[in-house]
Amino acid sequence: MQGAIDDEDDESRADVSGEIRLPATLEGTTGPVPASAEIVIVGGGVIGLSIAYHLAKRGLTDVVVVERGYLAEGASGRNGGGVRQQWSTEINIRLMQESVELCRRFAVDLGVNVWFRQGGYLFLARNANEVARLEKNIALQNRCGVHTRMLEPKAALDIVPELNLDGVVGASYNPSDGILFPWPFLWGYARQAAAYGVRIFTQTPVGGLEPIEGGGYVVHTPRGAVRARRVINATGAWSPKLAEMIGVKVPTWPIRHEICSSEPLKPFLRPMVSELASGLYCSQSMRGEIVGGVSLPGHGSTYGMGSTLEFLATYARRLVRLMPVLGDIKILRQWAGPYDQSPDGNPILGAAPGHPDFFLACGFVGHGFMMAPIIGKLYAEWLTGSEPHEIFGRSQLARFTDGSGAQHAKEDFNIG
Amino acid sequence: MRGEAVEVRIAGSAVRAYGDESLAAATLASGGRILSRSLKYHRPRTFFCFEGHCSGCLVRIGGVPNLRACQAPCSAGAEVEGQNAFPSAEIDLLGAVDFLFSRGMDHHTLMTGSSVLNKLANKVVRQLSGLGKLPDVAAAELPDVHRFDVDVCVIGGGPAGLAAATTTSRGGRSTVLVDDQLRPGGSLRADPRQGRQLAETRWGEAVQAGVTVLARSTAIGFFPEDDGGVLAVSAPDRLYRIYARQWIWATGGYVVNLPFPDNDRPGVLAARAVGRLLVDHGILAGDKICIVEDKGLESDVVALADALSGAGADVTRIPLADVSGTRGRGWTTAVDTKRGKLDCDLVAVAAIPAPASEGPRQQGCTVVLDEAAGGFRVVTNELGQTSATNVWACGDVTGYRGAAASAADGARVAQNLLEARR
Amino acid sequence: MPGKIVLCRCEDVTLSDIEHSVSRGYRDIEEVKRYTGFGTGPCQGKECLAVVALQLAQITKQNPSAIPPFTSRPPLAPTPLKLLAKDPGAHRFPDDLGDDEGEA
Repeated sequence: MQGAIDDEDDESRADVSGEIRLPATLEGTTGPVPASAEIVIVGGGVIGLSIAYHLAKRGLTDVVVVERGYLAEGASGRNGGGVRQQWSTEINIRLMQESVELCRRFAVDLGVNVWFRQGGYLFLARNANEVARLEKNIALQNRCGVHTRMLEPKAALDIVPELNLDGVVGASYNPSDGILFPWPFLWGYARQAAAYGVRIFTQTPVGGLEPIEGGGYVVHTPRGAVRARRVINATGAWSPKLAEMIGVKVPTWPIRHEICSSEPLKPFLRPMVSELASGLYCSQSMRGEIVGGVSLPGHGSTYGMGSTLEFLATYARRLVRLMPVLGDIKILRQWAGPYDQSPDGNPILGAAPGHPDFFLACGFVGHGFMMAPIIGKLYAEWLTGSEPHEIFGRSQLARFTDGSGAQHAKEDFNIG
Repeated sequence: MRGEAVEVRIAGSAVRAYGDESLAAATLASGGRILSRSLKYHRPRTFFCFEGHCSGCLVRIGGVPNLRACQAPCSAGAEVEGQNAFPSAEIDLLGAVDFLFSRGMDHHTLMTGSSVLNKLANKVVRQLSGLGKLPDVAAAELPDVHRFDVDVCVIGGGPAGLAAATTTSRGGRSTVLVDDQLRPGGSLRADPRQGRQLAETRWGEAVQAGVTVLARSTAIGFFPEDDGGVLAVSAPDRLYRIYARQWIWATGGYVVNLPFPDNDRPGVLAARAVGRLLVDHGILAGDKICIVEDKGLESDVVALADALSGAGADVTRIPLADVSGTRGRGWTTAVDTKRGKLDCDLVAVAAIPAPASEGPRQQGCTVVLDEAAGGFRVVTNELGQTSATNVWACGDVTGYRGAAASAADGARVAQNLLEARR
Repeated sequence: MPGKIVLCRCEDVTLSDIEHSVSRGYRDIEEVKRYTGFGTGPCQGKECLAVVALQLAQITKQNPSAIPPFTSRPPLAPTPLKLLAKDPGAHRFPDDLGDDEGEA
């Protein structure tokens, strides 16, 4: 049976793609890093690993990934797994259309199940302003070929019969949006990248970055130093800290978002449900848990990832009001992760000014995970010689200092 | 038997039970065996710990899913149904999954060979996922949250916690004690050398000493950022907020299973659970009992074995190293050992309880993994202070020592708290 | 056929699963938890954390004292939303009804 394994011999766990005897995915934590690499990617989250995989797939395998902690320690391991195409700017819509397609193919392309389920996203509006906002965005989404539609509140009940419609005046629904399980993305990218020859080191923080005369950097770690021709900063919310090491100022800041998960229930909830008024969102994972969160203002800029009673109370209050039958459902665990906020709500990509070999990939404001499949592919295409996708030109770090940022539309749908 | 006689319904049948018992005890006493099926392999599942910490006895009660039968009291008319099984927990059709994947199943790579198969796998996995079904109706309204402002909050009402709370209250400190079981007493109720009467006495002493005892109440988290730091406590129909100057963790240890093949078979219970059923409920859970024991618990096991024999059971003790498996369709009927097959109708696993240290860890206490202690024990100094300011710990949570020694430890640490400079 | 040695009852995680995780390079207890799923079920590790951590120490040939526990998070026991919804610390949004008690 496909997927069955042999207790006696680990290495003979054959999967049906026919690949057997894959090497270990991660390097042992005692060996040194290589002395040099074409590209060093700092940050082993989904962005870093997606870039690594796509680079290796295109033949650039002299890549080293260094992750300061354990795999999935950062935002990549803490998010709710939402994947949507309901955005307010054309570029985000189009990028997400491609990302959705990559998510659909992930399990077969990379040989690891990610349980991507396209049950749709249902956004609920509680006043006329919110309805207008949804309608404006829907028109753009439809023009791009995304089939979101506005619904009368009663129609939302057909999709989620458990809803309490008091106060709900409208809803938007796109059936092809979906939910995935985040951790296996990292294992899948890591497994395939490692199979191609990429070296992935965990528990390996970067202590210093030293520019090399003529180009490149020496990346200093407790496991030795790597001379890299190019460095990609894929440290997400921690990007300013790494950039600081070479005097580059990245103007993002971390905002703590809390999230929680319930006991496993038999499947009943099809879409991701979200309420604009509070930023409440919840969906049912492939394990049957209700995973969700709510926006707490005043949580502030912090790298701290502690949990608060205020979050549990706020989430519970809004959720039980919205879906009363969930009152007896039990929360099993709450945790938190950083949203990587940029000044204009748009990401920062491309080389830093004055540092043509130092690349950034941050400022995704809570939707970096869903963007990672396509961003990794586009970055790899560019770095292996193709013309850069337009997103790179629009996302330059320089825009914050040379005034060019004003020309691009701000994304207004950066919701939880 | 204790409490008034009531009638409850278990899997459709009327069962006579007693008001002070749990639904799990009533189920076992009436011959009930398998309650549900496990998440991945649909292996039969039923009670293991009888203390509300494992997931063995999850059932649907009164239309609410995923409730622990061992923490639900037998109230008249209570309706218990199994979960995650069709047509019944005993004859679940999906039980075949376990045989198909007798060597295990790597769900990461399952059916990733083609997109058609993968889509099917995703659909099937989703349909099979989850344990209980959504509740039948919306929950009723609840009373407001109640707050306590006290000098000392003791978490855990076993021998250590009861002794500590009684000591601090007698010493003039306002004290609240939180215990998650149906009735406080902890391991006193499971140890034949201690007993139910002793548990009731110690509980009574605490109340007499002025301790506010919150039974059926679970500390669900210490939240340092909320209102200067608050302990949230959940009771069946109410949330509490506790603010205290000093905290004493006396949460004891969780019973754990031992690693041997088919160790999760129904009929394999924690030894302490078997003791609790006998000592607290007067229920002899088997006639031919096999105690599988790990090192370090000699006196506990001897006391249990004597009590079980005294109650009429045929008891055999086997070291863990000699066990190679269990047998039985549904409930256990034998243990496979180096010396051959041993028939039995109950396996009692005697392992050092794992210190229940998640709460202290959340409050910032240092722990260390210590095999002799049973797991991650809370590190304390000679007075009983943890690494967190104003936070103390005593009893089994600092390393397994047993009921009698825990009581002494609770009193000792509480005395140190009284004498410490504020 | 040897039976399964179940270390995590909630998620059906076996000793073999732990060994497989380590062989792939996922050896940190947080990685083992995520890769195998142990400790992520209704008991959140109460029955299995100590056992798995001790096995991990053996498998990776480390002193038990070198193995940390995985992060402890609230709630320490499964807690119904209806209870949490009553906590006075909930944040109020502009569209919240003025009167708390007896709202829909």
